[in-house]
Amino acid sequence: MQRRHPRRTVIAAAVAALALVATACGSGGGSDSGGPVTLSMSAWSLNSTPEFKKLAETFHAQNPDITVEFKEYDPTNYDTQLTADLAAGSGPDVFVLKTLKHFFTYQSGEQLLDVSDVAGGLGGDVNGLGNYEVDGATFAIPYRQDSWYLYYNKDLFAKAGVTPPDATWTWAQYETATTDLDTGLKAAGSPAKAAYQHVWQSTVQGLALAQSPGAELTSGDYGYLKPYYERALEQQASGEQVDYGTATTNTLQYQAQFGTQQAATMVMGSWYVATLVAQQKSGDAQAFQWGFAPAPQRDESTKDKPVTFGDPTGMGINAGIDEGKVAAAKKFLAFAAGEGGAAALASIGITPATLSDSVTKAYFEVPGVPTDELSRFAFENHETKAENPVSPMTAALQNILLETHSAIMSGSTPVDEALQQAGTRAREEVIEAQ
Amino acid sequence: MSTTTVGDPPASAVRAKRWHKARRSLEGVSFILPNFLGFGLLTLGPVVALFYISFTNWNVFGTAKWIGLDNFTRLLADKSFHRALLNTLYYSALHIPLTLVLSLGLALLLNRELRGVAFFRTAAFFPYITSIVAIAIAWNLLFSKDAGPLNQILGLFGVDDPPGWTASSDWAMPAVIIVGVWREMGYYMLLFLAGLQTVPPELHEAARIDGATAWQRFRNVTLPCLRPTTFFVTVMLTIGSFKVFDLILVMTNGGPGQSTLVLSQYIYQKGLVENRFGYASAISVVLFALCMLVTVVQFAVNRRRAA
Repeated sequence: MQRRHPRRTVIAAAVAALALVATACGSGGGSDSGGPVTLSMSAWSLNSTPEFKKLAETFHAQNPDITVEFKEYDPTNYDTQLTADLAAGSGPDVFVLKTLKHFFTYQSGEQLLDVSDVAGGLGGDVNGLGNYEVDGATFAIPYRQDSWYLYYNKDLFAKAGVTPPDATWTWAQYETATTDLDTGLKAAGSPAKAAYQHVWQSTVQGLALAQSPGAELTSGDYGYLKPYYERALEQQASGEQVDYGTATTNTLQYQAQFGTQQAATMVMGSWYVATLVAQQKSGDAQAFQWGFAPAPQRDESTKDKPVTFGDPTGMGINAGIDEGKVAAAKKFLAFAAGEGGAAALASIGITPATLSDSVTKAYFEVPGVPTDELSRFAFENHETKAENPVSPMTAALQNILLETHSAIMSGSTPVDEALQQAGTRAREEVIEAQ
Repeated sequence: MSTTTVGDPPASAVRAKRWHKARRSLEGVSFILPNFLGFGLLTLGPVVALFYISFTNWNVFGTAKWIGLDNFTRLLADKSFHRALLNTLYYSALHIPLTLVLSLGLALLLNRELRGVAFFRTAAFFPYITSIVAIAIAWNLLFSKDAGPLNQILGLFGVDDPPGWTASSDWAMPAVIIVGVWREMGYYMLLFLAGLQTVPPELHEAARIDGATAWQRFRNVTLPCLRPTTFFVTVMLTIGSFKVFDLILVMTNGGPGQSTLVLSQYIYQKGLVENRFGYASAISVVLFALCMLVTVVQFAVNRRRAA
């Protein structure tokens, strides 16, 4: 029997382990000398969210020495999983700030590298950039900036004999139109509703916050929500739209409501353009004529530049990134937010943060995107305000307002009482506790 | 006849015996070590960390700042916490007895030699192993105010103004309790079925000969024999009810308003949504203390009854 040599085995194993570690370190993708660099980047739903691949592939084509690889997260638990990875020191080199609500957590937690130099090089054309500034420094760069529009079904408007929207619709005109649509559609024997308002708090609160003069999320005064909630309640009481209870208990999907012509109008974010185009192509949505208009306005004073809302989607660099990769990561951020990334995103129907004539041209060349004047106007002319202004209180306040939304829309609590309770809770639980 | 004197065993024999004993102990330890390591690393460690974090202000990044009892003091004045606590007690107060009674009833019903009894036992257990998301969606459809079959059936019985169920702040909690009881009674039924197998048939036989009615046999024979099972089921049900989370999150997300907000969801909100891990840990400690208190009381009552 062959005699074993434990000491030799241990030494050999140790040498092998050291060699492996050394090899692993050497292949990490970092480079100080301008050699090939591999960046890791957070992403979600890669199969149904083409923007990440598009940006990475276009960037790599222009910069063959830099490759972007993805670390995929669950879309629903994105921030939770990313937070866990960052806290454990295993986060990706570049990470996407899926919602503005969590930017403060990452920034105040010192997880984001200062990218003010990248921001400085972009000029002032990048929408939403200011949201990522803290004390004069920039910590992330937006690459897409969604805004909310009024989607409308041209065929259903024609069937109901109602004049389609124009660029100057106020909420009062919208209300009149939905009432007419309701009557006209019923008369034409159509089962479609005049409108669909999704169950998210954004659908009411986002526009109210953006359009109401003096409205501030952190004020603890939510009276500005009242006219928006009263309108929504009236519409569901009159049967012009599916009520909140039915939408929640039946887990209605907004894509199906508008895409299968069950609603003639719907206020929704600009990302839905790409979704509807893709669904009409795949057959998941019916074929019909549609377009998008500016979201209805409070009054006519904003008709030239309609006020809407939407948070930017940004990218930041992990503060713990290998120093040899920083330059490559900044180059990627500059590309994503700049003209090159914007054109790439526009070519797949995504609204980029940078808008220019060439970007707009690329966007409206996507087959299926409505090319009428009103849709073009809505795309090019708007003032987009943040739904989640950056503040340490935003996440907690939005939680309170989410509960307020379900209480009001379900009819459980009268509007005045619910808004008063929300204000009291906001002051006691969040604002005064800071 | 020769005699053998038994003296001290030789040193080598003692050493061998000790080695043998130590080896056996080591073998035993090696079997349970993985489990203990897992427990220490994944359960005990986080629990100890939880107690420490509850005295800090920590947003998961960087160092936790020690703030003493501040988190607990704030809890005393936190109306949302009070609401979540009351909702948890409301859920438990109805969920525990209802599940207990219905699972025991189901077990008694299916503890007979009936044709197809195995099918019915499986059918009763099936909800417990079904995805909670699927259950929530299916029940939400059933609870739909206007189009739901439940309200349509109520309409047949002349109910003109049927409940709004999950879309109503008054009815959302009862709706969640109904689904919770329906989902779990199959599991506890199995435990009771196992318990019923331990009831000696001769006791029933003797009682029957003595002229005891079915109710008397159940009360004086079955129930006392089932005491250990009932105690176990009650403890498990209590702990499960106090930390109910997933079903409510998927069915109502705590709403409408805060009508179904429970402690576990409040912990989730404060910790994972608002990144206030210190405060969330303090709520977890309170939930832990609550479960511990109720369980200790249950043990004490059970011991007194058994004595």
